[in-house]
Amino acid sequence: MKKFLWTTFALFLFLLIGCSDNSKLANRVFGINDLKHKKVGVQIGNTADIYATDFGGDTAKIQVERYSKLADAIQALKQGKIEAILCDNQPAIAFVKKNPSLDILEEVFVEETYAGVIAKKNTSLLDSVNSAFEQLKVSGIYDSIINTYINETSNFHYIPKTKNAPKLVLATNAQFPPYEFHTANGIEGIDIEIAYFIADFLGRELEIQDMEFDAIINAVNSGKADIGLAGFTITEERKQSINFTTPYANSKIVIVVRKNSSSEQSLSIKELFYNNLIKDSRWKFIVEGLGNTLIISLFAALLGVFIGTAISFIRCTNEVTGRLKILNRISMIYLAIIRGTPVMVQLLIIYYVIFSSVNVNKILVAIIAFGINSGAYVSEILRSGFKAIDPGQVEAGRSLGLKFGHILRHITFPQAFKNSLPAMTNEFITLIKETSICGYIGLTDLTRGGDIIRSLTYEAMLPLLIVAAIYFIMVAGLSTCVARLEKRLKKNER
Amino acid sequence: MNANPETLLEVKNLVKSFGKLQVLKGVSLNVQKGDIIAIIGPSGCGKSTFIRHLNLLEKPDQGEILFKGKSILGKDVESSRIREQIGMVFQQFNLFKNLNAIENIMLAPVTLGKLSKKEAEEKAIELLERVGLSEYAKHYPSKLSGGQQQRVAIARAMAMNPEILLFDEPTSALDPEMVGEVLKIIRDLANSGMTMLIVTHEMNFARNVSNRVLFFSEGNIREEGSPKELFENPKDERLKDFLAATKH
Ligand SMILES: Nc1ncnc2c1ncn2[C@@H]1O[C@H](COP(=O)(O)OP(=O)(O)OP(=O)(O)O)[C@@H](O)[C@H]1O
Ligand SMILES: [Mg+2]
Repeated sequence: MKKFLWTTFALFLFLLIGCSDNSKLANRVFGINDLKHKKVGVQIGNTADIYATDFGGDTAKIQVERYSKLADAIQALKQGKIEAILCDNQPAIAFVKKNPSLDILEEVFVEETYAGVIAKKNTSLLDSVNSAFEQLKVSGIYDSIINTYINETSNFHYIPKTKNAPKLVLATNAQFPPYEFHTANGIEGIDIEIAYFIADFLGRELEIQDMEFDAIINAVNSGKADIGLAGFTITEERKQSINFTTPYANSKIVIVVRKNSSSEQSLSIKELFYNNLIKDSRWKFIVEGLGNTLIISLFAALLGVFIGTAISFIRCTNEVTGRLKILNRISMIYLAIIRGTPVMVQLLIIYYVIFSSVNVNKILVAIIAFGINSGAYVSEILRSGFKAIDPGQVEAGRSLGLKFGHILRHITFPQAFKNSLPAMTNEFITLIKETSICGYIGLTDLTRGGDIIRSLTYEAMLPLLIVAAIYFIMVAGLSTCVARLEKRLKKNER
Repeated sequence: MNANPETLLEVKNLVKSFGKLQVLKGVSLNVQKGDIIAIIGPSGCGKSTFIRHLNLLEKPDQGEILFKGKSILGKDVESSRIREQIGMVFQQFNLFKNLNAIENIMLAPVTLGKLSKKEAEEKAIELLERVGLSEYAKHYPSKLSGGQQQRVAIARAMAMNPEILLFDEPTSALDPEMVGEVLKIIRDLANSGMTMLIVTHEMNFARNVSNRVLFFSEGNIREEGSPKELFENPKDERLKDFLAATKH
């Protein structure tokens, strides 16, 4: 086992050294007309996606590659996987500043305006928010914000005064500098400053919910959030499902390409570690994510064992005695649904549909979703553990006058549990790894923590490898513990 | 209703089929207190099926079973209450693999509230002594030989203080050198006045221990009598063939 771990560690280092040298790639896009037939990156749900998809009719189509984060698209562009990126001007400027090997073409792809989004049914909020925007412009605060984030001639931060008031929940996607992005102090940016101002204006306290861009409109419509600010462009299609506030910013969609001769130096491993972990205490994202991943995995596993045990009891009782017919039918439906749909979809349904109106803790949602999911697999594992017990023991128990429940508790379940340990370990290993989809409900788990660093440093390799290594250590640790437990249980029988 | 106060068990016209195969074809039998009944017969003739009915591990298609004069087949009868009083020892021992010897013996009386934990432990120790396994109290079944496992299984059945003890070929799964130790325990039990029904292929044992022998063939009792009558003066043709075949 130790040897194996070392080998893996060596492989990790090898990857680290092997990948850090990016070969330079030439630029092949010099204007809008060069985009046809090329692979071009956009952010999912962003208006650039809509424009790019419609571009060129049937003859000069763009091959649109959709990314959930712009930072991913930037990486793909640098690695030559795509030829250009279409995105909003301000984020493009921010990205290019950090990536000297990239450039923005002068030719603008499309001009547009940004506005906030509010649920259709919430017209009273729309009116008050629009008044807030008016006040924002009149008071001069808007200019100060723009000067701070875009012109960089000022250092203004809006300080909210309202405390302990009802919440105003903001849905945003903090991967979009300078409008919203992660910093060591939390999420900051133009939209965030505006949101603080609006909340104050309404006499409410701001709560920021960070989620995928394409989830925001949903969140606002379902009542999970009151308002969405994330550089939303006004489009006819979006108007059908949501109300827009007064526009508060003009932007253009520009074309980001690679420079022809790159001056960018590839970073040494030391610099990579510094950039991704030490600088601005970025390691905190990993630690926070790891904590959440551990909490979710642990409690979901406990819930899963609880549900799985109950279901396997019901099913075995029904199989042997014919009792509990209705409960058994319900269990079968539960098993069919859970095993017949992806866990990711289950997580989204539980968050957006079942708990849509309540403001519940996301970690709790994740625990419930993964616990319910795991329960289905645990119950089937236990059931085959039950099947492996020779029926003679059950008959012997019955011949002594023991009731079915006694036999279950004292004889069959302990043996089924032991029989199931190896398969159960696999299930928990799967569970730990599956929690990596928590980012889809905007929860900072380990994977998401690495993603946030990635979006700050535009460096794919190190954050991903670190995250992978931590998952690996968790899984290896779990396997070792269970192997020990198994050995002890076996010894017990000697 | 009950003609003879000494009658423990009355079986009337028991019929049982598995699918199309009729395994029991109207078996009737009376068991008196203190009876030691050996059941012999060729393989597949329904001996196990019959004895399992007495422990309610099978439900008959037709017929009646009375225990101490009362039917035990009615819907209102709690099977577990009957099983407490009719113990069973299986060919394959069927010890609980997750429990050690003494726990195997203690489980039923403690769980069913018949004895306190302490009483059950004392009783288990006494029973283990009786079957000669005092030193093996903490051993798990996987660490016991077949003969030792069967002796624990007998002690386990005895722990419930049953009125009747059923044995289904208790020595058939044993290596020959272990048969003796198990038969000795059963013989001791017989001498203590226990009522027993024993399905067995050990003819000498059947002859020496029992007071009645039943010859089963094709789903019914073909001949019945004292061991002396049955072994020395068989009347049924099939019994004669059977005895000749087992004498080798
Ligand atoms: N649960 C069952 N389902 C179907 N058939 C069964 C079942 N139990 C027993 N049988 C059949 O009933 C017949 C009688 O079986 P039984 O076990 O009672 O015989 P036996 O006299 O005990 O034989 P042996 O000496 O081999 O133990 C056999 O043909 C057997 O295959
Ligand atoms: Mg048999």
